[in-house]
Amino acid sequence: MQDTYSYLVFLGIALFNLLIFPGGLFALSLGILFKGLDRKIEARLQRRVGPPIIQPIIDIVKLSGKEAMLPETAQRPLFQFAPLLGFVGMAICAALLPIPGVSKGLPAMGDMLVYFYLLQLPAVALMIAGSSSSSPYGALGFSREMTLMFAYEIPLLMVILAVAMKVGGENFAEFSLINIIDYQAQHGQFIANWVMIPAFLAYLFFLPGTMGVPPFDIPEAETEIIEGPLLEYSGAALAFFQLTSALKNIVVLGFGVVIFFPMTLGENIFINIIWFAVKCFILMLISTTFVKSATGRFRIEQAFSFYLKIPALLAAISLILVWLNF
Amino acid sequence: MNFLNNIATKSPWLFRINAGSCNGCDVELATTAFIPRFDVERLGCKYCGSPRHADIVLITGPLTARVKEKVLKVWEEIPEPKVTVAVGICPITGGVFRGGHSIEGPIDKYLPVDVNVPGCPPRPQAIMEAILLAKEIWLKRIEEAERKGVRHVQIS
Repeated sequence: MQDTYSYLVFLGIALFNLLIFPGGLFALSLGILFKGLDRKIEARLQRRVGPPIIQPIIDIVKLSGKEAMLPETAQRPLFQFAPLLGFVGMAICAALLPIPGVSKGLPAMGDMLVYFYLLQLPAVALMIAGSSSSSPYGALGFSREMTLMFAYEIPLLMVILAVAMKVGGENFAEFSLINIIDYQAQHGQFIANWVMIPAFLAYLFFLPGTMGVPPFDIPEAETEIIEGPLLEYSGAALAFFQLTSALKNIVVLGFGVVIFFPMTLGENIFINIIWFAVKCFILMLISTTFVKSATGRFRIEQAFSFYLKIPALLAAISLILVWLNF
Repeated sequence: MNFLNNIATKSPWLFRINAGSCNGCDVELATTAFIPRFDVERLGCKYCGSPRHADIVLITGPLTARVKEKVLKVWEEIPEPKVTVAVGICPITGGVFRGGHSIEGPIDKYLPVDVNVPGCPPRPQAIMEAILLAKEIWLKRIEEAERKGVRHVQIS
């Protein structure tokens, strides 16, 4: 009896986490808002008026009412399954995300290694989409997405290892996100720690790559390979890709906030939620919005060697410094 | 549903087809309409690379014999409801190329054109007005499709 009751409570909390608070509704609306602000700020930086802030919502409403087309030669089941795969991965990621001072995410499951695997799901979904769409541009996008993913995964893994080893101390490594927040509450934030600053810079470089914004929007390059993997999608399936990228924004930005500056402002839950959103927003401004409004696009081999040179080097510096117990 | 339809027309994604144009109108579309002074993005517009994402299709050029089949094929790939806009004098009448041996136009022999924007090239204000007109036509199309209950998955 007692077991059933506690199981039901756990299930209720998990569903709440997945559908409403850190994941689901909250992350989705925040992500869409961020996308709108991002477009508006980019336009203002280029001295244009820009679209209204709710433009991403308008786009999604419109796309869901459009005719959906299926290419005759596509691998039908894979082609229809791909948009869901990325979305589900990101929804789980958002539910696992602990928000400092507010919620712990899905209880006892917030682990950085789980995160590392789930973060690649939207990229995998794009690859499946590109390769199953039977379009040559889709295949090109697939190969570019895979190359780019291999390039930015290496610095990300080293950043995660550096953070885990710093927190773990003599236990070698600690991957739980909640313990990382606790450690920083006691020992000061990593953003103010000179050992971790190279890792933070590496994470900043990782962000535009994983979000697929210029100068790293190579797999979905509109002017070269006409949006690559997304080429054959129309209607609601395309809207799903947009929702996925909105969720992914929050997930990667929130992950950065949690592992580098999870400082809270007092005990009030609402102030902490807003503070978390503000931190995510600042991280987005410096890592993507300012960069993308001023840059063109790398070629894929340039992006590949860039990721393996600068961000990987920065992350490796942090990793070695942590290893040497600085 | 009226409310949703009204919202939907605030996000027209534009697709450009060059049907043998001299590039004058294309430059006008791609750059002038996007400079800070005019900025079509304020209407929610976005130039999309894929015909599958498009709502409003802008055709430039007199439809030469060499591109005719391809233009018609790409036009077919655009999902309904769509609005066709002919930009520049060439797709409307043939312009200076009218009667040439390689010219198959004017374009409304093959496609239902909804809005004509004459000019060589047209002024950016005219292009923006055409997009506004196209939005109204688009709204009517959506409502019409809804009355008929057309919401199908097309295999192409």
